[in-house]
Amino acid sequence: MDFSLNDIQQMMQDSAAKFIQNDYDFETRRGLSNSPAGYSEDNWKLFAELGWLALPIKEAYGGLDGDLVDTMVLQQEFGKGLLVEPYYATVLLGANLIQKQASDAQKLELLEPVVAGELKLALAHSEAQASFDVSQTKTRAEKQGDQYVLNGHKAVVLGAESADYLLVPARTSGVVGDAEGISLFLIDPKSAGVQLRGYATNDGLRAADIGLTEVTVPASSILGQADSAAPAIELVLNEAIVALGAEAVGIMEKLLAATSEYIKTRQQFDQPISRFQVLQHRLADMFMETEQAKSMVYFAAMEVAKGGSEASRVASMLKVKIGSAGRLVGQQAVQLHGGMGITDELDVGHFFKRLTCINNQLGTRDYHLQSLINKAAAG
Amino acid sequence: MKVLVAVKRVIDYNIKVRVKSDQSGVDLANVKMAMNPFCEIAVEEAVRLKEKGVADEVIVVSIGPKVAQEQIRTAMALGADRGILVETDEPLESLAIAKLLTKVVEVEQPGLVILGKQSIDADNNQTGQMLGALAGMSQGTFASEINVSENSVEVTREIDGGLQTLSLNLPAIITTDLRLNEPRYASLPNIMKAKRKPLDVKTPADFGVNVISGLKTLLVESPQERSAGVLVGSVSELVEKLKNEAKVI
Amino acid sequence: MNVDFTNEELAFREEVREFFKHKFPAAVKDKQEKGTYLTKNDHIVWQKALYDQGWAGINWPVEHGGTGWSATQKYIFATEAAEAKSPRIIPFGLAMVAPVIYTYGSEEQKARFLPDILATNVWWCQGYSEPNAGSDLASVKTKAVRDGDSYVVSGTKTWTTLGQHADWIFCLVRTDDSGRKQQGISFLLIDMKTPGVSVTPIITIDGTHEVNEVHFDDVRVPANNLIGEEGKGWTYAKVLLTHERTGIARVAESKARLNSIKKMIDEAAARGEVLKSNAVFMARLLEIEVELKALEYTELRVLSSVSTGKAPGPESSILKIKGSEMIQMLDELVLEIAGIYALPFVPEQYTEGFDGESIGPLFAAKAAPTYYNDRKVSIYGGTNEIQKNIIAKQVLGL
Repeated sequence: MDFSLNDIQQMMQDSAAKFIQNDYDFETRRGLSNSPAGYSEDNWKLFAELGWLALPIKEAYGGLDGDLVDTMVLQQEFGKGLLVEPYYATVLLGANLIQKQASDAQKLELLEPVVAGELKLALAHSEAQASFDVSQTKTRAEKQGDQYVLNGHKAVVLGAESADYLLVPARTSGVVGDAEGISLFLIDPKSAGVQLRGYATNDGLRAADIGLTEVTVPASSILGQADSAAPAIELVLNEAIVALGAEAVGIMEKLLAATSEYIKTRQQFDQPISRFQVLQHRLADMFMETEQAKSMVYFAAMEVAKGGSEASRVASMLKVKIGSAGRLVGQQAVQLHGGMGITDELDVGHFFKRLTCINNQLGTRDYHLQSLINKAAAG
Repeated sequence: MKVLVAVKRVIDYNIKVRVKSDQSGVDLANVKMAMNPFCEIAVEEAVRLKEKGVADEVIVVSIGPKVAQEQIRTAMALGADRGILVETDEPLESLAIAKLLTKVVEVEQPGLVILGKQSIDADNNQTGQMLGALAGMSQGTFASEINVSENSVEVTREIDGGLQTLSLNLPAIITTDLRLNEPRYASLPNIMKAKRKPLDVKTPADFGVNVISGLKTLLVESPQERSAGVLVGSVSELVEKLKNEAKVI
Repeated sequence: MNVDFTNEELAFREEVREFFKHKFPAAVKDKQEKGTYLTKNDHIVWQKALYDQGWAGINWPVEHGGTGWSATQKYIFATEAAEAKSPRIIPFGLAMVAPVIYTYGSEEQKARFLPDILATNVWWCQGYSEPNAGSDLASVKTKAVRDGDSYVVSGTKTWTTLGQHADWIFCLVRTDDSGRKQQGISFLLIDMKTPGVSVTPIITIDGTHEVNEVHFDDVRVPANNLIGEEGKGWTYAKVLLTHERTGIARVAESKARLNSIKKMIDEAAARGEVLKSNAVFMARLLEIEVELKALEYTELRVLSSVSTGKAPGPESSILKIKGSEMIQMLDELVLEIAGIYALPFVPEQYTEGFDGESIGPLFAAKAAPTYYNDRKVSIYGGTNEIQKNIIAKQVLGL
């Protein structure tokens, strides 16, 4: 048993922490978030050089064969900088799904450009009625000869505007709710019938709703086997929950440090407000929740990687903890900063907003709690 | 030409240092450690010299406990070719370090030795200078720019209120100032390569150097807490406060 | 990063399982399964079984007869002990006074006290709190005045757990009240049979006699019962309090308890009760399970740093708070499952000698008393509010 990071993880953490510290201060991030692309292409090139884009990819496809703990380390640092580059969309969702679902030839063709920083991806898995459970996908693809015709609507697809390709799960057989019958299509967003409506999210990222109207693609654009994509998507989303959890922990650590620093310097009633016990205990609560959330991320990073039926239960457990811990830490950080906490000027509110959005991504806390209850009641 | 770089393990510069309750020193339990930032600049400069074809080997040396290997690995991840750890758990004075480095210089015969100008923990700013004296080499301290040519190196130094440019005969010693370069981030492939680069472990005894210190730390105190700033309403109020409260004008 | 056991650790786990299978005294085991209160003798029999195995001094150094176990071995033992429903080891002798004696005591004191503690030949209790010294422990007033070769002790200690069984008590006493209040405190061992020592029971809200007041009325104590130096007692006590952070959260017990709660729910479902379809209850259950998993990993993180030779990280400071909250939340779950059968107050049902039929399910009979009794866990050992003060000061630097 050993919870320490190995040398490589430690050095990677140092590099990432330094990058955030030196090149990603809050004003820089704000500038990137407000820029037309919503992120920096130069940073993306740097990520490629640093090997970050290759991290979770298998060696055979030019990757570095990192595991979920490696991803966790990087994401935790990214959280501290509120990273806006589409790392989550391209690498953690897109590339990870390709390597779990696509054929060998497809992997070779698509993953190396991702690693080189030349190809970006977005996974259009969520729909209005299904932000997490892909078996609920309503988007359909009908086979017509050698082609498929897709119709449907995809909701809040992160990184869609910057993506060179969209990965689109669509039902090719069965009915809504079936575990089987989902195929994964690789679609050029410029294809006829794809309507991409891009927008900012309230945590400063970019996303899009995507309408698919009679989008006609060749059968070869299915990644891997037809009808078979649901298990891989589920696994990738479970792993993505670990990544979101790690990001959330990075944010919580940042908020905890900022808040304890602030209350030590903020003077009211002729003394620093950190002398007030009610605030000390609030900080202690924030600290405890952050540590418990971190423990849960460690647990999930090790367990989800094992896959199997336990993986989704573990991911749900993590999402529940991250939801409640993130809510407490985020809200209290704002509260303890007083009026400043709700200004756009200060970074604290932006960390809070990101924590809020994390809860709404990949199924909310209540959604996952219900899913745990269903499993327990069935078991 | 070989370039020798000395690096030191110190508390990470982002960490708020806490003094032990008995004031005997700084609390190091569970504190994140890192390479001294000035040393990182030294490593970066050496690696750039290698990339320019000026240096053909970059050797990094650290003196300290076994865990200082981490900083040597970091230097190798940034591009150094091999490492030497002189392992000792003794608290070390600058002079002992300079003596040990002199021995390493004798063995390695580098054309250039690059060190940080000072470490952020003890703030001594003397190891480079002492090494210069002991090894009988010219020194260019507080370098903000260096240019190596055939048999000499041109060093631009940051001095009070200006810059000074020196030419030193090689072999020479350079200590780095903040503006010499901006160190790169270690890339993952290089971090992985660093694991396979050679790292020699020596002891002070191997070099016949006695590192027992004649110096004892009596008391360590925290700086006074900075009190909160005040917002002044006008320039005249500021001047008034500077004159009568701060008494600086 | 991994949570796997080594082959040696797995072999050790087998050894522990064997112990609980074959050497856990049957009578005690039976009582534990039924939830029957243990007698003094039950505790002694159980602890002597451990002693015979060489496992009584879990945290002790080998030179004094301890196990010398690694942090991981201790964790394995705690887990298996909880699975086997073994009683807790009464901490006062083995875990509390012994470390002070072997760390600060004289050779004579070590030889005199440690063997009997290890073998549970002597029952110890703790004399720290006083009617006016609870969270503010340093304000103890029980006086010890030096008189020749003795100290004359007078004052009152309170909340003395199982003091009614005790042969000896270790006390924080005031030997000097001139300087800072932490300074004049000494660590004194007192034979409970000494004239002038008297014990008054305190009955708690669960109807049990667990804690006591201990009065000292000019009790003459030999001066060689003083541990270490006069006036250093506060330092010794503080070292003792930080001695063992892992285990304080009682995670292993809570895990075993959650498992039995799940069984209770299944049994309730088999009886036709509707708990499983109560969304509010199920949400609470699953949230607790999530929290317990997080706590388990927090404890493992602490364990991992200790076993790799590092100081426990800041996360260790949350164990006591989160662990005690967990115990109390589980109590409340059981109370909920017990439903109407939480009401009957029939202590005979869980007292030695009862062999009749229980009123309602047996677990339900003890649900409320356990819930009431465990309100103590967020109060003793430094209240959870004091623990938060410690986090604020020592971890967050506020």
